[in-house]
Amino acid sequence: MASGARPDQIRLQALRDVAARLRLHSVRATCAAGSGHPTSCCSAAEIVAVLFFQAMRYRADQPAYPSNDRFILSKGHAAPLLYAAWAEAGFLKEPELLNLRKIDCDLEGHPTPRLPFVDVATGSLGQGLGAACGMAYAAKYFDKAGYRVFCLLGDGEASEGSVWEALAFGSYYQLDNLVAIVDVNRLGQSEAAPLRHDTDVYRRRCEAFGWNTYVVDGHAVNELEEALWQATQVKEKPTAIVAKTYKGRGIPGVEDTDNWHGKPMPKDKLESIIGAIQSQIQTKEVLVPQLPIEDVAQISVADIHMPSLPEYAIGEKVATRKAYGMALAKLGTANERVVALDGDTKNSTFAELFRQAHPERYIECYIAEQNMVSVALGCAARDRAVVFASTFAAFLTRAFDHIRMGAISRTNLNLCGSHCGVSIGEDGPSQMALEDIAMFRAVPGCTIFYPSDAVSTEHAVCLAANTKGICFIRTSRPETPVIYSSEKFEIGQAKVVRKSGADRVTVIGAGVTLHEALAAADELAKQGIPIRVIDPFTIKPLDAATIISSARATGGRIITVEDHYREGGIGEAVAAAVSEEPGIVVQSLAVSGVPRSGKPAELLDLFGISAKSIIAAVKSTFAN
Amino acid sequence: MEAYHKPDQQALQALKDAANRLRIGSIRATTAAGSGHPTSCCSAAEIMSVLFFHTMRYKAKDPRNPSNDRFVLSKGHSAPILYAAWAEAGFLQEAELLNLRKVDSILEGHPVPKQPFTDVATGSLGQGLGAACGMAYTGKYFDKASYRVYCLLGDGELSEGSVWEAMAFAGFYKLDNLVAILDINRLGQSDPTPLQHHVEIYQKRCEAFGWHAVIVDGHSVEELCKAFGQTKNQPTAIIARTLKGKGISGVEDKENWHGKPLPKNMAEEIIQEIGDKIQSKKKLSPTLPEEDAPVVNIRNIKMPSPPNYKLGEKMATRKAYGLALAKLGHANDRVIALDGDTKNSTFSDLFRKEHPSRFIECYIAEQNMVSIAVGCATRDRTVAFASTFATFFTRAFDQIRMAAISESNINLCGSHCGVSIGEDGPSQMGLEDLCMFRAVPNSTVFYPSDAVSAEKAVEIAANTKGICFIRTSRPENEVIYSSDEEFHIGQAKVVVKNKDDQVTVIGAGVTLHEALAAAEELKKEKIYVRVIDPFTIKPLDKATILEHARATKGRIITVEDHYPEGGIGEAVSAALVGEPGITVTRLAVSHVPRSGKPAELLKMFGIDKDAIVQAVKGAVSKSRNAE
Repeated sequence: MASGARPDQIRLQALRDVAARLRLHSVRATCAAGSGHPTSCCSAAEIVAVLFFQAMRYRADQPAYPSNDRFILSKGHAAPLLYAAWAEAGFLKEPELLNLRKIDCDLEGHPTPRLPFVDVATGSLGQGLGAACGMAYAAKYFDKAGYRVFCLLGDGEASEGSVWEALAFGSYYQLDNLVAIVDVNRLGQSEAAPLRHDTDVYRRRCEAFGWNTYVVDGHAVNELEEALWQATQVKEKPTAIVAKTYKGRGIPGVEDTDNWHGKPMPKDKLESIIGAIQSQIQTKEVLVPQLPIEDVAQISVADIHMPSLPEYAIGEKVATRKAYGMALAKLGTANERVVALDGDTKNSTFAELFRQAHPERYIECYIAEQNMVSVALGCAARDRAVVFASTFAAFLTRAFDHIRMGAISRTNLNLCGSHCGVSIGEDGPSQMALEDIAMFRAVPGCTIFYPSDAVSTEHAVCLAANTKGICFIRTSRPETPVIYSSEKFEIGQAKVVRKSGADRVTVIGAGVTLHEALAAADELAKQGIPIRVIDPFTIKPLDAATIISSARATGGRIITVEDHYREGGIGEAVAAAVSEEPGIVVQSLAVSGVPRSGKPAELLDLFGISAKSIIAAVKSTFAN
Repeated sequence: MEAYHKPDQQALQALKDAANRLRIGSIRATTAAGSGHPTSCCSAAEIMSVLFFHTMRYKAKDPRNPSNDRFVLSKGHSAPILYAAWAEAGFLQEAELLNLRKVDSILEGHPVPKQPFTDVATGSLGQGLGAACGMAYTGKYFDKASYRVYCLLGDGELSEGSVWEAMAFAGFYKLDNLVAILDINRLGQSDPTPLQHHVEIYQKRCEAFGWHAVIVDGHSVEELCKAFGQTKNQPTAIIARTLKGKGISGVEDKENWHGKPLPKNMAEEIIQEIGDKIQSKKKLSPTLPEEDAPVVNIRNIKMPSPPNYKLGEKMATRKAYGLALAKLGHANDRVIALDGDTKNSTFSDLFRKEHPSRFIECYIAEQNMVSIAVGCATRDRTVAFASTFATFFTRAFDQIRMAAISESNINLCGSHCGVSIGEDGPSQMGLEDLCMFRAVPNSTVFYPSDAVSAEKAVEIAANTKGICFIRTSRPENEVIYSSDEEFHIGQAKVVVKNKDDQVTVIGAGVTLHEALAAAEELKKEKIYVRVIDPFTIKPLDKATILEHARATKGRIITVEDHYPEGGIGEAVSAALVGEPGITVTRLAVSHVPRSGKPAELLKMFGIDKDAIVQAVKGAVSKSRNAE
C-alpha cells in the first residue's frame, strides 16, 4: 500500500478483523492473568487497530526509533490492548501475551518503559496527554520532524484537570502534529462517567480549548480513518477525536453494562466469548504498518560540559536561585538540546536568564505545574532533550503524582524548585516549600541537590544534566556569600566546610542554614567551642561515610539544621543514615508547625533554625 | 432571590468610592510592607466593592456566622484588598492594614484562617474554586440554606487544571448558589496570560463546562451589580475584563509590575490622584444574611456500637474502613464521604449505600475532591472523609499542603498501599504516602493493621483536629484485636512479647502480619522477638518503642510496605537517634516495583516473613560477634 493512501473496502474489513483479534488477545490475556481490564480494551479495539495499521507510521521492529510516530496510552489500564497491538505488529510474540501481569514478564498490569514501545508509564489517569504534548512540541519545534503523536484517553480521566491543562497547552502552541482520541465508553470504574455518552459536551469543551474536533462512532473503522486522515490536513491546531464507544464491545452480555470494570471474563465463559468475537473475523490478512519519514536528526545529550568554570568571587553575594538561571543559560550554550520550562515564575526562578539567551528552547507552561512536568517528561522521551523545569519548590507538590509517574517512566528529568523554606519571608506559608525534600527523597532513583552557594549551584546544574533519573535542585531566595572556589563537586560527596582537630560537634546545614551554621561556628569559635560544619551538597544520595566519620571525630554528636519540616528532611535522612551506628546521636533543628509571614531573619529565629538556635543547641549538647 | 433592582446613581457612586478606598488601602499597605501585589488588587477593586457592599449578605462583625454568604479569594496574592474590604466593612481597624506582612500581625502576605474572615488559605493558585464548590454543595444539599458562595479568581490561575475540575463539578451538581468572578486583567507574573483579554474564549469554556457565563467590564460597578443580580439554574461565572494596576497612572496594564509595591513618593502621588475621585466619605453597610443555616454539632462523635469482628476473621482494612464509615454515619448526620470513582475499591461505597444523600461522587479529579472536602468542612459544617487509592493522593499534595495551612479537619483514606496490591503494578501502589502525610504539619497518620483498629481509626479521626490520614490495605488479613481493645493516637500496641525477646520488630498493615508469622517461625528456633504495631505513624509512640527496644538489647527492625524514605523506618530512626545504644535496621521497598502476585512481591522486595527472619538472625549474630 502506498504511503498515506486511503483504504478500500477490503482494507477496512482487514482493519475490523485486526480489531477483533485485538479483542481476542485482550480477553484471553486478562482471563489467563485472572485480573485486568478487558472491557476497557474492547471499547478501544477499532481505535487502536486504525491507529496502528492505518494512521501511524513506524518501524514495528524498532519501537523506540526516533522517526516513528508516537503513541501514548493514557488510559493505561487498557494495557492488554496495547500489548496485543504490538503482537499484531509482530514485535511481541503472541504466546507472550498470556504471561500478562506475571512477575517474570514485562507485560505489566499498566504500561511501563520496561517495554521498548512504552515511552512513559501510564496508569495514573490524566497524565498521557501532557506527555504527548511534550513529544509533539519536541517534534515540531526542536526536531522539526514529521513524526506525529497520538494519545488515547478514556472518558473517565477527562475529569482530571491535568487533561485540560494539556488541552490548553496543545492549542496554545498550535501542535498540529498531535491527535487526542477520547474513548467515550460511558462507564467509569464505579459508575457511569459524569458526561456519559454526551459526546456533544466533549466536543464543545475541546473546541472551547482550541482543538479541531470530530465526533465519530468509535467502532466504525471508516469514520476513525476519515477523522485521522482529516487531522493530517489541519494546520496550526491539534485534533481531538471524540469516539463514542461501548465498554466491553463485542462481549455478549457484558457490552455497555455496569460492574464489569477491571474484571476478567469468567473462565467458563471464555470459549463462547471467543467464539462470538472470532465469528466477526472475515480475513486472515496481516496488515503491515506504514514506515516513518526519516527526517529526525541525530543528536547527543550525553556528556555535556560547562563551557567554562564558575566565575564567582569568594564572598560575593548571589542567591542560588539566580545562580541556577545563570548556570542553565551557560549550559544551554554547551548543548543545543538543553531546554528549559517554567510555569510563569521565570522572573523568580531565574529561568528567564535561559530564555533570554536561548528563546527558542524555552517553553512557557503558564500556571499549570502538572502539565509542565508532563511536557518535560514528553520532551525528554527518547533522549530528544535535556530538560530543566522550574517553579517555586512548594508548587512542585502540585505535580507529585506526575513526578512519581516520571520515576516509574524512568525519565531523566531535572526539576528546580526555588523559594524553599521560611527564608522567603513575607509571602507566607503558601509560598514556602517545607516538604519538598521529603517528597523528592521518596521518589525512587531521585538525586536531590541542595546547593549552598552559586558555585555549587552551577555544578549541580551540570551534574543534573548528565545524571539519569529525576534530579531536583533546591534553590533559595536570599542572597548568600559564595564559599567555594574551583572545587570539584560530585553526587553523594559532602563538603567539610569548617574543620579543626578539636571540633566538638558536627553541624550539618544546607542553603541558608549552612550560612547560619557558619555564623554559629564563628561565634562559637570566639567562645572557644570549635565545631565542624558539613555541607551535604546532595541530600540524596547522602554522604553517610563523611557524616559518620565526622560524627565519630566529634564525640558522636550531630546537629542538623534545615529550612524544611522535620519529617523526611535532612534530619531524618541523617538519622536514617546513622541508625545502624550505635553511639551517634542526632539532634534535628527544623521548622515545626505552619509558619507565617515575616522578615526572613525573624522567621529563621522564630522557627529555631538561625545561628542563635544552633549556638544554643551546640551548648546544650554539652550540658547533657 | 428577588429580581434585580438597579441601584441609583448615588449608590453607584458610593460603590465607586468604596472601590477607590480599597485601592488606596491596598497601595498604602503594600508600600508600607515593602512587598506585595498592589496591581493585582487594583484590577479587582470594583469587583470587591460591589461584592462586599452591594451583593453579599453577611454580618460584618461576625465573619464566620454560618448564615453569611461565603467569599473565597482564590487569587490569594490580592490579600491586601481583602483586608481593605474588611476594614471598609468595619471588622478591621484601618491602621492595622499598615501592619501587612509583619511577623506580629495576622494580616499575612496571603490569606490564612487566623483571620476570622478567611475560611481557606489561598496563595497556591487554582484552589479556591474547589473549596468554594464544597461550600456551595454544603449550602445547597446539607445545610439547605440560602447563603451563597462567591469566589474571585485571577486569569493566570485559570491555566490550573484544578479550576476546570471544579468547573466540571459545579456544572454537574448544578450549584446555582455559586458565583465565580474571573478577574481577567491580562497580565500574569512574568508574561501576559495565554488568553490575554480574549474574554469570549473564557466564556465559551465556562459555558462548555455547564456554567452561565456573563462578560462584563470589571471596572463598571453598574455592570457588575447587574451581573450579580442574575440568577440561573446553574452556577454563574462573571467574566470581568479588567486592567492590572487600574487607577495607578503609568502602571495600569503595564508589564513588570506584578508583585511590586509602589515606591513611597510615587504611592503618595497616586493615592492623592485616586483620592480625588472619591466623592463621598460615607461608608456602605453590607446587607444582613437570612439566618437559616441550621445549628449543627460535630463534636464527640461515638460509634453506635463496638466493633463486631471475631479474632482470626479475615478482613481487608480497606473494607473495614467502609464498614466503619457507614456505621459512623449513623452516629452523626453531618458525617459525609467523598470518593473519586474508586468507591468500590476503597469501600466508601458501603457508606453511600447507607447514606446516599451524604456521599459526594467527585469522579476522577483528586485535587478537586480534596478541595471539596476542605470546603465542606469549613465552619465545622461537616465531618468529611475522602477516599481514593493512597498513591493518587499524591495528585492532591498541594491541596493537602494548603489544607494544613487552612487548619482544615478533613479525613483522608488511602487504600491500596504498597506492593501488596499485586498485579496492577507500580502506578497503583502507594509507596510514598506515609512520607507525604508525615510532612503535613499537625497531621495524624493512622496505619491500622486489622479491622478492629481500622474501625477505631475512623472513629478517632472524626474527632481529631487537623488532617487525618488512614492508610488501608488490599489483602485480607486476620483480625488480631478483640472488640473491647482501646486505641489512642500515639499509643502503640505490643502484639507479641516474651521475656527473652532479642529484637523488637515494628510492622504495620500487611508487614505486621508478616512480622507475626516471622515471630512464630523464629520461636521454633528459640529466637524470641517482640512485635509492635505503632497504630499511628504520626505521632509515633516513642516511649513504647524505646522501652521495648531497650528490653531487646537496643535492637529494632522496622518493616514496611513503603519506600525507605520518610516512612516507618525513618520515623523510628528519627525518634530514637538521640538515644544511645539503639540501632534500627530498616526493611522497605527500595526501588520501583512491578506487577506480580502480592506474596511474590513482598518476597522480591524483602519485606516478607522470610526477610524479617533473616534480618532478626542477622541482628542477633551481629551483636553476638560484637560481643
